[in-house]
Amino acid sequence: MIDCHVVMKQLWEYLDGELPPAESDQIRDHLAMCARCYPQYRHQLAFLALVSRTAAATAPRQEFIRRLEAVLASAELDPT
Amino acid sequence: MADTETHPDSREAFEREALPHLNSVYCFARALTGQDSAAEDLTQDTYLNALKAWQQYTPGTNCRAWLFTICRNLRARQAVRDQREEPADAAELESLASAALHAGLSESDPHGGFLDAPELGDVVRAELQKLPEEYREVIVLSDLEDQSYATIVAVLGVPIGTVKSRLFRGRRLLQEALIEYARDAGLVPRTGGPR
Repeated sequence: MIDCHVVMKQLWEYLDGELPPAESDQIRDHLAMCARCYPQYRHQLAFLALVSRTAAATAPRQEFIRRLEAVLASAELDPT
Repeated sequence: MADTETHPDSREAFEREALPHLNSVYCFARALTGQDSAAEDLTQDTYLNALKAWQQYTPGTNCRAWLFTICRNLRARQAVRDQREEPADAAELESLASAALHAGLSESDPHGGFLDAPELGDVVRAELQKLPEEYREVIVLSDLEDQSYATIVAVLGVPIGTVKSRLFRGRRLLQEALIEYARDAGLVPRTGGPR
C-alpha cells in the first residue's frame, strides 16, 4: 500500500495519464480511500479543467486566417 | 493524374492535415510571444516553413506536434534560451510544493470550487503571459493542447525530467497567482488553513 507522500509526489503524472498502469491503479485506489489526498486530487483536477478552458478563447483573427491562406496559396511546395 | 492529386506530398494533403491545426499553432505562438501581432507572424512563418518542408512530414504521424516543433524552433532562433537541465528530483519537489499550496485552502475550499468562477479564465490568460517562457510553453503544450510528455520532449528537445519540472513549477506559479487573486476578490478567505 502506498502512502500519501508518494501519492502527492506523483499526482500530476497520474492526472496527466503518464504513469504505468500498475502505479496508476495504486494511486487511484489510494485516492478512493484517503480523505486527505482526495480533496487535493479534486483541486488539481479543477485547476487543469480551468486552464484547458482558456485554449478555446485564444483564436486567431479571421482577417489573419484569410491573409495566411492567401500567402500559402502563393507559396511553393519544396520540389525536393 | 489521379495519383498525383492524392499523393501525401501534395498541397492538398498539406491543407487537409496541417491547416486544421491553425488554432492550436496560433495558441502556442501566442503563448510564446505574448503578443497578437508577433503570434500572427510566428504562425505564418511556421506554416510557410511547414509547407516548404512538407515532404519531410510522415503522413499519419502527429502533424500538430510537428507544427509545434517548427514553431518552437523558429521562436528559439529569436530568443536566447535557457537550456539547462533540471535536477532529477525537481519534478517531485514541485509536486510536493503544489500539495503544500493546497494545504492553505484545505478548510475553506478543499476541492477548489473557486476555480469554477467565470472571471478566472481571463486571470489564467493574464498570469500565463507573466510566466517565464520556458514554463509557459510546456503548460500550453500539455494543458491547453493535450500533448503527452513524450511529444513535448520531441517538440522542445529537452529531457523528460526538465519537461516535468517546468510543467509542475509553471502550474504551481499559476496556482499561486490564482489563489492570490481569489483571496483579493473574496472568492476564498484570506486566512485559510486550520482555525
